[in-house]
Amino acid sequence: MSADHAGPAAGPAATVRRLEALLEQRGLIDAGQLDRVLGAFLARASPDNGARLVARAWVDEGFRERLLADANAALPELGLSMGGGIQEQRLKVVQNTADSHNVIVCTLCSCYPLALLGPSPTWYKSEAYRSRVVRDPRTVLREFGLELEPGVSISVWDSSAEARYMVLPRRPAGTEDLGEPELAALVTRNGLIGVAPL
Amino acid sequence: MNDVGGMQGFPPVPQEPDEPPFHSDWEAHVFAINSALIGRGIYNLDEFRDAVERIPAQEYLASSYYERWLRGITTLLAERGIVTAEDLADG
Amino acid sequence: MAELFRIGDTVRARRVDPPHHTRLPRYARGAAGTVTDLLGHYPLPDRSARRLAAEPEPVYAVAFAAGELFGEGDHTVTIDLWESYLQPAAEEPRGGDTAGATSLPPRLRRDAPRGRP
Repeated sequence: MSADHAGPAAGPAATVRRLEALLEQRGLIDAGQLDRVLGAFLARASPDNGARLVARAWVDEGFRERLLADANAALPELGLSMGGGIQEQRLKVVQNTADSHNVIVCTLCSCYPLALLGPSPTWYKSEAYRSRVVRDPRTVLREFGLELEPGVSISVWDSSAEARYMVLPRRPAGTEDLGEPELAALVTRNGLIGVAPL
Repeated sequence: MNDVGGMQGFPPVPQEPDEPPFHSDWEAHVFAINSALIGRGIYNLDEFRDAVERIPAQEYLASSYYERWLRGITTLLAERGIVTAEDLADG
Repeated sequence: MAELFRIGDTVRARRVDPPHHTRLPRYARGAAGTVTDLLGHYPLPDRSARRLAAEPEPVYAVAFAAGELFGEGDHTVTIDLWESYLQPAAEEPRGGDTAGATSLPPRLRRDAPRGRP
């Protein structure tokens, strides 16, 4: 069967093209706008937003407190928001300390603060991560190259409802002279999920 | 099959450094179509999750993440008589 | 809807295994934990997944010890749970209809009618 036919044996790409054509015929989507909408989404939602929030929290203690107390209210201070999606979700930021480390998961599907950080990594969506990190987070973190001291307690957050979670990593030593942009550049997507120190 | 928290027997977490937001155009389009249909009220997010969860277990495990999404979307559209399997096959 | 539980309360996740969509993970069912936050009020997804009317109800962050969930581990797992999924910890673990009085039997649910319900 030709890959252009969208029957049961067709690949997903052909099926999606066929589906878009049908939905456009029925007036339910504007297929020509999908790429533009996707581009706009990816431009405004990315891990860079999380990194900027972290950098600001590192240099500004008042902002850190506001971010931890009510992240949705603090985001606009940096021109950010959890809006722009289906509905604005509550964001909770959880901070790592010297003796506690946080890691985020959605065991039931793959819930993630998309509106702020963009799409989640493929591994975050995997059954392997979702099944194992709630039962044995220390081993999963080790697979990511993060070995926590035995005295550090681990809190796993399962995003099972409407709130979305982001980790505030610890500021590394020796960064006192760095400005916010340099600090933000240290923060990775994995750090915001909690599988990396930064 | 989605409720895997604590389930044993899964392998080490597969990691792909520097992966793109979407691995192909069709995956990105599935994401965008789903947002559009939910935004229009064709179905809600809970109905969507339920449709994905209703994929038979063996097909679910054999499918990639966005293949499951596509299956959930087409199921909901077929159940509402908006786009049927026959419509999709007449390509 | 007024909240049944407050921060600091010990609660138990209901021991249920519904045939329909739910957001109470299997690994938490029957386990006791501590309410650490009130996250807001939202309609129960068990019902909204089938377009059943659902009044917004409290959703709590509940922290469980790993030992309580899995019999091992020294970490904490916090799960966000709708009030319908919870009972006071002092009570014996029991079920409850997490979808309200009008759940459909599985056979009917899987042969969902065409068109908008």
